[in-house]
Amino acid sequence: MALPLKYNVRNVFVRWRATIATVFGIALVVAVFVLVQSLAIGLEQSSANTGDSRNVMVVRKGSTAESSSIVSREHFKSLQYFEEILRNDKGQPMASADMLVLINLPRRPPNEGEANVLLRGVSPVGPELRSQVTLVAGRWFTPGKREVVVSKRLAARFANFNVGERFKTGPEWLTVVGWFDGAKSAFDSECWMDVDECRAIFDRESYSSLLLRPKDEASKVKLIQRIENEKRLQLLAFVEDEYYSKQTMTATPIKWLGGFLATAMSIGAVFAAMNTMYASVGARTREIGTLRVLGYRRRTIVLSFLIEGALLALIGGILGCLLSLPLNGYATGTIGFETFSETVFEFTITPALCLKGLLFSLAVGILGTLLPALRASRLPVIAALKSI
Amino acid sequence: MTIGGFISKNALRNKRRAALSIMSVAVSLFLFVTLLVLMREFTLPPEDVGSSLRIAVRNKVSIAVTLPARQLQRLEKIKGVVAVTPFTYFGGKYRGDDFTTFAQFAVDPAQFTNVFVDVKSSPGQIEAWMKDRTSCLVGKQTMDQYKLKIGDRMKLSGTFYPCDLDMKIVGQYAGTLDDRSVFFHHKFLEESLDGYDNVGAWWVRAASAEEAPFVIDAINKAFANSSAEVRAETERAFQMSFVSMWGNIKILIGSIATVVVFTLLLVAVSTMSMAIRERFRELAVLKALGFRRREIFAFILAESFGLAMVGALVGAGGAWLFFQNIDITKISNGLFINFEVTPKIMGTAFLVASVLGVVAAIAPAISVARTSVVDGLKTLD
Repeated sequence: MALPLKYNVRNVFVRWRATIATVFGIALVVAVFVLVQSLAIGLEQSSANTGDSRNVMVVRKGSTAESSSIVSREHFKSLQYFEEILRNDKGQPMASADMLVLINLPRRPPNEGEANVLLRGVSPVGPELRSQVTLVAGRWFTPGKREVVVSKRLAARFANFNVGERFKTGPEWLTVVGWFDGAKSAFDSECWMDVDECRAIFDRESYSSLLLRPKDEASKVKLIQRIENEKRLQLLAFVEDEYYSKQTMTATPIKWLGGFLATAMSIGAVFAAMNTMYASVGARTREIGTLRVLGYRRRTIVLSFLIEGALLALIGGILGCLLSLPLNGYATGTIGFETFSETVFEFTITPALCLKGLLFSLAVGILGTLLPALRASRLPVIAALKSI
Repeated sequence: MTIGGFISKNALRNKRRAALSIMSVAVSLFLFVTLLVLMREFTLPPEDVGSSLRIAVRNKVSIAVTLPARQLQRLEKIKGVVAVTPFTYFGGKYRGDDFTTFAQFAVDPAQFTNVFVDVKSSPGQIEAWMKDRTSCLVGKQTMDQYKLKIGDRMKLSGTFYPCDLDMKIVGQYAGTLDDRSVFFHHKFLEESLDGYDNVGAWWVRAASAEEAPFVIDAINKAFANSSAEVRAETERAFQMSFVSMWGNIKILIGSIATVVVFTLLLVAVSTMSMAIRERFRELAVLKALGFRRREIFAFILAESFGLAMVGALVGAGGAWLFFQNIDITKISNGLFINFEVTPKIMGTAFLVASVLGVVAAIAPAISVARTSVVDGLKTLD
């Protein structure tokens, strides 16, 4: 014989004063869990959003990251005229030589200190190859005029990054002439300027990497094979978005932190829930006795208490998700382990993450209720009825 | 029965609840201490004796941009400079691991021990290293981790530098804060790259801590307006410059610590209220017997304070014991080195616990004080 659900639902609300602290406690635990994990998701999505499956990226064999790669000018000169590569309306090959350099810049006041920013030199067709990047303020840079375009997201975090302002790096002053938006990709953490000008300023002979756009799927496969096969080049070619989707090193420790916090906090929450439920059982001793007399079985009593605990926790879980939601989409930043530079990303709360949070709260609720529920079911009927 | 006995009897009358309350306070304080330690690790890199004497000289653009080797002559001539060594981060991969747990630096062995005075090694090993250009000095922790012994090969594949290195391990060192790095001849790196005339950074030792600021100033001025301007700063300041790079992670950890404390408060207050509600009648009896409000408040306060303190002892003390006895460097793959529970952190944890104990007593005490004896005696639940 099952107890009507109504009994449990109404119990949760009748004793709201006693349970409100537990519900809030669980809500805060779930909120912390969801927020920390949403950071890891934001980082991963930013990597996953980056790159175009039509592009082929070329780096030096043996380098683990684009920034540690070296590609000579000669290689670029010969590679860009490979017949597999698409040409734009002006007849230029859709091939960009990029150069990456880390520059140390002061943070935007009132924040103190400095951080590394990734400056990318690109060939004139570079922006065209990255269709997800759009200009949102000012204009693109003119080569030779010491001009840079910075990401809108970075501009919020570094001093002198407003359009029209300038900053010094190395011996040169660079003027910010525009802001771009990287559509939540890794490009949101970059500044762009002309590649050959960049090489001149930082006194480099070579490029870091190449980005090529083959004519079609078939020539893409052929191009990658051709670069691999030319042993003389010592270069590695792969599809651009595959490269970025592997950049998850920064997200890993955040996931750990989230897991650790969730575990520790949930243990505390289980203790708190147990306390509440034991008190609840204690206060309802007579009620439970009555139910037993009426013929409800032990396991029904256990089940009913479990449902009550689960319900309680679920309310907490929902509240926790709601508490964390306002931060969804909020941009934040930390050092990226792949690039060793400021990486901007967003708190990204997905439905799947909320569901995980709810399941998590359910687990806390059930674990916290189990022992009190068993105790309730074992109360001797007569003693229970006699108790006041 | 003494008053103390009365309070402890009361606190433990429901042993299960007392235990659960103590445990929930303890777990939260454990977490709180861990977060504070984590925060300290992010904001305060470890410090040792020599670090106030050592000066890091890097390219002004950023740490990732190299400096020309010709700067050495100029550096050596600066007044107050005792020793200079190139300090080039090789960033090689070891045994094809995705994440290499130790850093490798190309240095000048002849100057190395003059700059890094805390390096301790068995007699003869440093000399052997100086003599053999293709040899290297390996930190004790790395030796242990990979079960290496003197005479083994150290093979590294370059990531920043397009070359692979194959070196003989001739020495092991210890005595620094982080005994994991591998040091090898800068000359060997230069040869492996077919003539390379740059260095990653310079590491300089000043004659005394008093002179260090002047040396720093002189170095910065010496290369001002040259093609490779430098940023010289104490090793300490250099390490601290990484702190700012963590960006919002610090705020994140701080906010989580706050939420943990708040949750803790909530739970403690509710437990205490529960405990008091259960014995409303008894408290009314006490009142009827002539105990004053103030005394009853003292009873409740002492009980809640006591529970919170025991919780703090278990939680914060447990954290202290725990972090004292684990090898955090190994567990975190070198991300964290110290993870020290300082007296200040312990103090903060106990302060939080005592505030908790007091605040949790207030609400129940007020409701007891407000209730008349008659109403109190009537209460059933």
